[in-house]
Amino acid sequence: AAPFRCIYRPLWRVITGSGRLTVGMRNISFTENHFSATNHKTASVGSPWTLHGAVCLQRLPVISQDRNPIEEEFSGLMQQMELERSLLSDHELRLLEDAARMSRKQEEDYDSDEEEDYGDKEIVTAQDLEDAWEQKLKQFHPAQRSNGDKLDVSSSERCLADSLVLLIKQDVGSQKVWLLPQVQWKAGETLRQTAERALAHLPADVKATFLGNAPCGFYKYKYPKDIQKEGSVGAKVFFFKAVMCSPNHLPLEKNSFAWVKKDELKDFLTPEYLKQVNRFIMSL
Amino acid sequence: AGIVCRTLSRVVSSQTSCCSSVVSVRHSHWFTSILSPKTSVPLRAEPKKKKKVDPRREQMMKERLKKKLKKLERVPPELIPIEDFITTAKCFDETRVREVPKLSFEETERRALLLKHWSRYKFSQHQAEMAEIKEALEAQRQALEELKIESEDLYKAAIGPDTDLFPFQHQGPCYTPPIPNYEAPDGKYNDITRVYTQ
Repeated sequence: AAPFRCIYRPLWRVITGSGRLTVGMRNISFTENHFSATNHKTASVGSPWTLHGAVCLQRLPVISQDRNPIEEEFSGLMQQMELERSLLSDHELRLLEDAARMSRKQEEDYDSDEEEDYGDKEIVTAQDLEDAWEQKLKQFHPAQRSNGDKLDVSSSERCLADSLVLLIKQDVGSQKVWLLPQVQWKAGETLRQTAERALAHLPADVKATFLGNAPCGFYKYKYPKDIQKEGSVGAKVFFFKAVMCSPNHLPLEKNSFAWVKKDELKDFLTPEYLKQVNRFIMSL
Repeated sequence: AGIVCRTLSRVVSSQTSCCSSVVSVRHSHWFTSILSPKTSVPLRAEPKKKKKVDPRREQMMKERLKKKLKKLERVPPELIPIEDFITTAKCFDETRVREVPKLSFEETERRALLLKHWSRYKFSQHQAEMAEIKEALEAQRQALEELKIESEDLYKAAIGPDTDLFPFQHQGPCYTPPIPNYEAPDGKYNDITRVYTQ
């Protein structure tokens, strides 16, 4: 498969038009899953929600995916049809000529002077060329497509054919929870800078390109009653997407970092968090 | 050569001046020395009558030439042939026709069914992709709405364009992963593309 460069993610320039009330304001407390009464009005003075910025760091696929059975069958059919509808190429013509010449040589009344364009005695037949090319191809050893199951979750070279997302085990309140790397917002910076700070806080030194200034999703949760201070009811986390530029193979701690495919997310994240995150993480 | 002749004539005249008086005729202004070169225009010919007509005639000639040149230049330049649109003579070569084995009934049936199956599969794939994209856009829209409720400044910062993003480059997926520290052999090639100039 020929490599192709320059994928570019479409920039989503969403402009909120009419001020439609957001449907389904969810208030989820982190420890219990009960739904408290909906809380439409935000606080009167300032907002009671502390803001966090989180980064959804993705390692895009490095190799192409394996084909489905239907795709295999169809590609086979396409190749067959193309072959049937094509003309003979120069190389194939040469093969046929060589075969014909060979068969003429075998005959008894063979006169080499009758041959046109015979040239000298040394002839490289097309078959010889093919064999030489095959030999040369065998000398090249490409890297293995699949690494097998040797690599565990914390390595970024896991499933090269899928896009992986980085998860972190952070303590929120009293518990350790798996979530996307997030950091609290400081006054005076934009949320994207918060997300960049979150990226910088990781022990691994990764170079990532952020895709635009706009957040791709958000998650809102209320603090449990005992932690609720005055002025902060809960927290709002805004996610920003980033794409990892160069593969960095720095080993990360197994228990606190994970590179995870989309379908493996449900093993790590809490259900409500997962619901929001699944919306913008794409498995294309 | 003129200077040499003049000095010679002077020498000659100086030599002959003392000899005879016939020589003195030579010094008169009516006779120019035979030896002197004929550098000047003959002053004794008719006065020039062509002073006005000649430049006019020359101008007319020049204009006529210029007009001819313009007429030649007005011809539209030859169009550059588009090589993709020209079928090469190789394709019409009869010796190249491939012998196609006739397909059995089962084979044609299998192909037709496979094509239909493929179109169904592709359609469902397309639907899934569109739904995913729509979902992601919706999530982003809601996130921006929430941000607007939170603070206007952050919302405006989020909506603003990102100048550092483009030009964006990313190495796409290949069949095998890249070999670390691999030195590719030099690829020499002869470029035989035809370049046309108008």
